[in-house]
Amino acid sequence: MIRELLTQIRFLVKHPKLTEMDDELQFHLEQSTATNIAGGMTAAEARRQALIEFGGVERTREQCYEQRPGWWMGTVLQDVRYALRGFRRNPVFAITVIATLALGIGATTAVFSVVDRILFRSLPYAHDDRLVSVGLVQSLSRQEFTVGGFFFDWRDNQKPFEAFASQGTMLHACDLIETNPAQLQCIKAQAGFLPLLGISPVLGRNFLPEEDRPNGPRVALISDGLWLNHYGRDPGILNRLINIDGNQTRVVGVLPQGFELPTVEEPDVMLPSALNEGLERRSSPGSPMRTFARLRPGVDIAQARAEMQPLFLHTQVTVIPAQIRKDFHLSVRSLRDRETKDVQLTAWILLASALAVLMICCANVSGLMIARGEARERERAVRSALGASRGRLIRQTLTEAALLSFAGAAAGMMLAEGLLRVFLDLAPSGIPFLSRAGIDFRIALFTVLLSLLCGATFGLLPAWQTPRALALAAHAAKSRKRTLLRRSLVVGQIAISMVLLSGAALLLKSFQNIEEQHLGVQSDGVLTARIALPGFRYDTGQKKMEFYLQAEAALRRLPGIRAVGFSDSLPPGGWQDSERFADLAVEGRPRPVQGTGGSVVSRGVSPDYFRALNIPIVMGRNFAEADRNDSEYWAVLSRLLAARMFPDEDPTGKRIQRIRDGIVFTVAGVADNVKNGGLTEQDQPEIYFLRRSVAQDWGGRAPVGEVMSGAAPLLVIDAELSTTAVAQWVRSQIAQIDPTVPVEIETLNQRVSKLADRPRFETALLGFFAFCGLVMAVIGLYGVISYVAVQRTQEIGVRMALGATRLDILRLISGEGLRLIVLGGVAGLGAALATAQLLKSLLYNVGPRDPAIYGAVALLLALVAFVATLIPARAAMRVEPAEALRYE
Amino acid sequence: MPPSTDLLQGTLDLLILQTLALGPMHGWGVAQRIQQVSKDVLQIGQGSLYPALHRLEYKGWIQSDWGNSDNNRRAKFYSLTPNGRKQLESELETWERLSSAIGLVLGRVPGASA
Repeated sequence: MIRELLTQIRFLVKHPKLTEMDDELQFHLEQSTATNIAGGMTAAEARRQALIEFGGVERTREQCYEQRPGWWMGTVLQDVRYALRGFRRNPVFAITVIATLALGIGATTAVFSVVDRILFRSLPYAHDDRLVSVGLVQSLSRQEFTVGGFFFDWRDNQKPFEAFASQGTMLHACDLIETNPAQLQCIKAQAGFLPLLGISPVLGRNFLPEEDRPNGPRVALISDGLWLNHYGRDPGILNRLINIDGNQTRVVGVLPQGFELPTVEEPDVMLPSALNEGLERRSSPGSPMRTFARLRPGVDIAQARAEMQPLFLHTQVTVIPAQIRKDFHLSVRSLRDRETKDVQLTAWILLASALAVLMICCANVSGLMIARGEARERERAVRSALGASRGRLIRQTLTEAALLSFAGAAAGMMLAEGLLRVFLDLAPSGIPFLSRAGIDFRIALFTVLLSLLCGATFGLLPAWQTPRALALAAHAAKSRKRTLLRRSLVVGQIAISMVLLSGAALLLKSFQNIEEQHLGVQSDGVLTARIALPGFRYDTGQKKMEFYLQAEAALRRLPGIRAVGFSDSLPPGGWQDSERFADLAVEGRPRPVQGTGGSVVSRGVSPDYFRALNIPIVMGRNFAEADRNDSEYWAVLSRLLAARMFPDEDPTGKRIQRIRDGIVFTVAGVADNVKNGGLTEQDQPEIYFLRRSVAQDWGGRAPVGEVMSGAAPLLVIDAELSTTAVAQWVRSQIAQIDPTVPVEIETLNQRVSKLADRPRFETALLGFFAFCGLVMAVIGLYGVISYVAVQRTQEIGVRMALGATRLDILRLISGEGLRLIVLGGVAGLGAALATAQLLKSLLYNVGPRDPAIYGAVALLLALVAFVATLIPARAAMRVEPAEALRYE
Repeated sequence: MPPSTDLLQGTLDLLILQTLALGPMHGWGVAQRIQQVSKDVLQIGQGSLYPALHRLEYKGWIQSDWGNSDNNRRAKFYSLTPNGRKQLESELETWERLSSAIGLVLGRVPGASA
């Protein structure tokens, strides 16, 4: 076996000389002649007979040559050279094909890079397919949570999981206090949490069980980023004591690079949860947390949910108060769903539309290849007649296709790089993993596979139709089958672009609706400033309040500022505090039934908030400056809330008790509704509490991003002058009070626009794909019609000679196009209507089957496509009958 | 001349190997030998002989050397390699199994003349 291989390799390297073969055959001939002479023939006759007997020398020589192992490699090179020469002769063809492929492959690769992590790539944990998020969900929190009151009960009694552990609900700000202080993101986690994920520290160790207990040793794991940026990767970091929020804490390990929590957050520091198990078990509800678990092998999620149900029912009875019990449900879902559920639909839609564009591109390229194949039919017939086998001809066509595919893939990769950058610029912050999307090896492989698939498809289609019995002279009698193939490709293209276009148009309309809606607040010229007060210096409500009041006073003195207000959150969306409707009781009336009424947005504001955002007070009065120093608690209701709590009544002066803490608020007035459920959700009722100038109203930590803990105030500034100028003044004023605090200034318009990022992203991408698809389809249509027109030149000549007018010819050719357009359009319309339901959840104020949209799209497509057929049809019309008749 | 019988697929290789087992021989000699031994039933045209010789050589079953023929003319002589000998044995075995099987199907005792 090995010997055989060696022999083959030897022959691969050593070319047998052709003259040797000649000598050998020559010898055979001579022997034959000699035998004939010996048989009694004359020398000439002997040689003649020998030659006759011998047959074709050349053929034999070739056959001998073809026995050589690796003989075909030479032909590949030959094919490549031949293909390249062909492309040089007809560069327009090659460039069109490569550009088309690059577009299809580039778009698909870029989108794949974005959605890969969301849909396909395994999560960065061991056994990631068995990891689940377990807990309760309710109307105010859609992500699973658990609390100490039942966590330990669940952990001890559950059966479907082999590991079960929790982390804190979210990152919280914490301070690293040393000579070089920093505000960090901390997370608490149980000792079993990292093992559950299959993560082990790159340096040091995980928490020990005795460290995960109340009053245990204070230890921490730090992130690779903190280790690098703050400690320069010092290996002596282990066992060092660092001061976190005033506590000396021992670093016991370093988390792996790029470690992320299952909540898709990256902590700087991980601390043990250190829950008091005995206390938590008895408490109701106990500490909140996020619980994750690993399924036992062979157990699926539905089974796990069913097995957890009895525990949940038990919990419901013991931990959750009867009044609100109805609102809570058990949820067990895969970690991937927990991380990306709300973007999966977008991701699938993007991927599907990119693949649709790729399909259109491939169809176009196939059409081009078929046309080229036909143009070269004669050449191929000649080659076939000269002895090229069918296999050889197919190989030649495939070589061309492969070359074009690879060139297209290379160009497509470059395009993908660029597109990805554009996507990242456009992308909203809410799409997980996007910032880290890049074109990597996996994706490069995906591209090459795509291009090969493309090559195989469009290479084989025409190659299959090899000129078998094709006569050399054949030209007029074109096979109708081939045009049929091209026509169906075009119909398919038109249908697909119809689907893409209608999807894009729906999203566009929806986006327009979002942009044009009335927010209920003025957003022009409004600035917001968020100040991250370091918690270790501003550690009491009093200190914070003094800082903010000082800032308010300083800003009010600035020119060009109409109003300076405080609020803890801003409409129309993002983080907003909320109360249960059932938690607000009107004094002197029966308490509302618990568990009904949903939630009410609540905001702690200063009197100027309404003026800064220009929210009209429709009844009663606004908070007054004097109220800020009052011992009364004041509230303003939104019109929606007022109508619900006090139908047909003036709520002014009425008193409302917040049941959870017993505080009684007096209603000062009613403000007009503002958009507060995000841009696309329904408005919610809203209650404004006055943030008074007393220390207790200013407690709490600075929010972390939009996710927050406590309720630190935002400054809301209504500027008369340009916002950029005012922003500078605001910064300098705040720096005068405390130069070290970071200030984050944004205009309200920017905030609102950020909320529309997601629909904008979806609309822009789908729009782009629809545009590409349309252009490609139209080019394809144009190609087919011009081909048909040229093919029918002679027929046109005959018709004209028989008296057809030029208009008749125009009608003849454009009618051909029209048929394809109508066929494709109708098929596309059907497909679009069938799939539009998928878009439903992405649409705002427009139905997925909005007739106006579909009508407009169909009209647009028909018009553009018709123009594409008119051009070749007009050319056909201009044909001179005399020339046309002579046309071969 | 009696009509030549079409050779079974793959049989040519076997015939060549068997012929060369007797000793080194040039292409012409191989063809002549097969023709003689088969009493002119098997005539190997050069069109199939030489590709087959080359194929066997590339497979490493036979090797070639240039030498002088009887009439002192330079000729390419083929001879069996050890690998070729093994191949010949296994092909003979296959052939025997096959022909006896065919004989059984045709209802004749193998070896008996038709």
